[in-house]
Amino acid sequence: MIEDLTFIAQISIKSSVAVLLATVGGIINERSGVLNLGIEGMMLVGALAGFAAGHFTGSPLLAVAAGALAGGMLSLVHAFFTIGLRSNQVLSGLALTILGTGLANFLGRPLIGQTGVRIRQLPVPYLADIPVIGDILFNQSPFAYAAYLLVPLAWFVLFQTRTGLILRAVGEDARSADVAGVNVPLTRTLSVFVGGLFAGLAGTYLSLSYTPGWKETMTGGQGWIAIAMIIFCFWNPLLAFFGALLFGGLTALQFFFQATSMDLIPSYVLKMLPYLLTIGVLVMVSASSKRRKSASPADLGVPFYREL
Amino acid sequence: MADPVISLSKVTKRFGPVWANREVDLDLFPGRVHALLGENGAGKSTLMSILAGRYSADGGTMMMHGREVSFNSPAKALDHGIGMVYQRFMLIESMTVSENLALSAGKAHGRTGIDQVIHQTAERYGLGVDPEKRVFELSMGERQRVEIIKLLMLDAEVLIFDEPTSVLTPPEVDALFEVIDQLRAEGKTIVLITHKLEEVLKLADDISIMRKGRLVFSERIDARQMSRQQLARLMVGRDVVLRVDKKEVAVGETILALQGVSGDSPLGGPSYTDVTLEIKQGEIFSIIGVAGNGQVGLVSAITGLSQARSGTITFDGATYNAREWRMASREKIAYVPEDRYHSGSIGAMSIADNFALTRLAAYRSGMAGMVLDREKMAADGTRAIRDHNIKVESSEDSAGSLSGGNLQKVILARELTRNAKLFVAEQPTQGLDISATEEIWRALLECREKAAVLLVTGDLKEVLSLSDRIGVIFNGRILEIIDAHDSDQVDRVGLLMAGVRT
Repeated sequence: MIEDLTFIAQISIKSSVAVLLATVGGIINERSGVLNLGIEGMMLVGALAGFAAGHFTGSPLLAVAAGALAGGMLSLVHAFFTIGLRSNQVLSGLALTILGTGLANFLGRPLIGQTGVRIRQLPVPYLADIPVIGDILFNQSPFAYAAYLLVPLAWFVLFQTRTGLILRAVGEDARSADVAGVNVPLTRTLSVFVGGLFAGLAGTYLSLSYTPGWKETMTGGQGWIAIAMIIFCFWNPLLAFFGALLFGGLTALQFFFQATSMDLIPSYVLKMLPYLLTIGVLVMVSASSKRRKSASPADLGVPFYREL
Repeated sequence: MADPVISLSKVTKRFGPVWANREVDLDLFPGRVHALLGENGAGKSTLMSILAGRYSADGGTMMMHGREVSFNSPAKALDHGIGMVYQRFMLIESMTVSENLALSAGKAHGRTGIDQVIHQTAERYGLGVDPEKRVFELSMGERQRVEIIKLLMLDAEVLIFDEPTSVLTPPEVDALFEVIDQLRAEGKTIVLITHKLEEVLKLADDISIMRKGRLVFSERIDARQMSRQQLARLMVGRDVVLRVDKKEVAVGETILALQGVSGDSPLGGPSYTDVTLEIKQGEIFSIIGVAGNGQVGLVSAITGLSQARSGTITFDGATYNAREWRMASREKIAYVPEDRYHSGSIGAMSIADNFALTRLAAYRSGMAGMVLDREKMAADGTRAIRDHNIKVESSEDSAGSLSGGNLQKVILARELTRNAKLFVAEQPTQGLDISATEEIWRALLECREKAAVLLVTGDLKEVLSLSDRIGVIFNGRILEIIDAHDSDQVDRVGLLMAGVRT
């Protein structure tokens, strides 16, 4: 029994890393007032670039860098359209997902079934020996450890530093931030780029560590889950940790039921649960925050013009 | 005489076909308050936004301390010591005062030292404000103080105030004037954009007047005394007498009667309690009170936008309870709401469309009345523009492109056309200049010849000029209803507004 639970917990974390990284990237990006629905596309491009770099160079470090950068580069397309040309953020984001998906599937065709670099589970010395906890938390892929550090770091930067203050100010009220002397377009572009790096990294985790190899549309909608998670977690990276874990947990249960051939809950229902939960939480959040300011950045999705 | 700090020469700015500023020359001197006067849309705010780096000029030059400067962003203007307190405050509402100040001035002070600097600045100028409060919790006066502290922390040398008193209560206005006096004494250059003549005569050392984008007058007034009349004439370009011709109108039957109506404001504003009043055909009944005493909720219950909790409402002989009235009322009342930009009009739609918005039934044609008669809409829109002296190119211009006064005239014209038995006007002249105010007052007086008029306002002068009877609201209750023709009683209105019953 305890083995089963440990197993489920370990798989939960494993399954939540990609969503967690993508969510935190999305939070940084949306806190600056830019909505990016292209996360799924950036993850796929990241997954492919990471895998391809690993396949051709054999270097895990280069693979990770290439994956993250590919996501970042694609996000700059979004930045160009939404910040430079002030076009509709929803449309541009959707186009980014379609573009990213198509591009990755097309370029990745020769790589299907090939082997590349694998980044395996790496137990942390000493910490991994702690009973139960050690196995769950510290017998994971290095990507998970990176996420453990990046999530609190993102929170710290957003809420405890001057950089974060500027970023949030731009997302709350770009015109006021502008008058206060902030460079709004630059701030937004950098935030979108960082969001892209995170999404690329999330994709790279999938193709190097979680399910090593390249398969078409291998993200399986995790980018969309991340977009729901951003709202679900009130644009707070620390809460994203729990949100992602919830998603990972439901995925792990799926594996567990499949592995043990227990058909307690049909796997399709389990797959639906994160979405159902998100809808439920959204209803609760909007019902309870009627009289309060909602957590959403007030200028989210609003292009910035200095002159009207 | 000292050299000018700022010297503008032939500054020009166009928005599409409209000249906002046309070859404006202006000098600003240290240690002086420069009043920039003009009607709505005269180009005052645009000119100062150019100086503050928010807009860039299409032509002309700016000199600061004798050297040519140009700013392509507010940040750059701030670096040169030029800052502006905008009419719509530029603060991030969900953040604290200290965060807002750290945003603009934090580079110099760091996050930890900032609270101390805020404290020192506040102390020195008597600008008390709690740094830990979030901006949306602050009153308008407090927000303005934060804006001023913001500029002072950046060591601004030139401070521009855009209509600074329009959102303040009288004591807050006095406090602001003291701060401005102190800044002047310290040698700062102050610009005061306004259309209130009292403020100008009280504070200004220099006066410039703009009309239709051009500078028509610029003088140092300590050299030569000016009267209100002279200033008003220069501003409008003709003589204005703010006195209204009030015709005798026979008072008819009761149109609206409230009996013990109580309820809450929508969106959690202050409530109103046990309101009983009657409004008759042929009279203007005013509800006056300081903002936030339940007027908003009461009006929304009368116009049927929200539902009262209890009480009965009689309209034109038929009596309704609160819920029935909520379902019934929309069609019967003409309504000019307080927020002319959001409740009163749809900015992205044309003037003609806005003009038809509350009267769509009048434009039915074709396919069993499902198609709109566009031609008639355009014709009526054009006629309204002509009849009400609305300054636009055509009825196809978007409502959002109109100045406040012109937009208000469109809304007023629309509601007048409905020929409703009750006409409700909420703060109808707030923020408008003299000539627009005059026209709106005239229209309201005309309206009372055919209907009952309910005027809700905080402006005592407006109430005294127009009303037949005055209900003073305080803390959600109508304290007293006063006959406006009884001059002994009228003197008590101001005290009643402050909640003092004698």
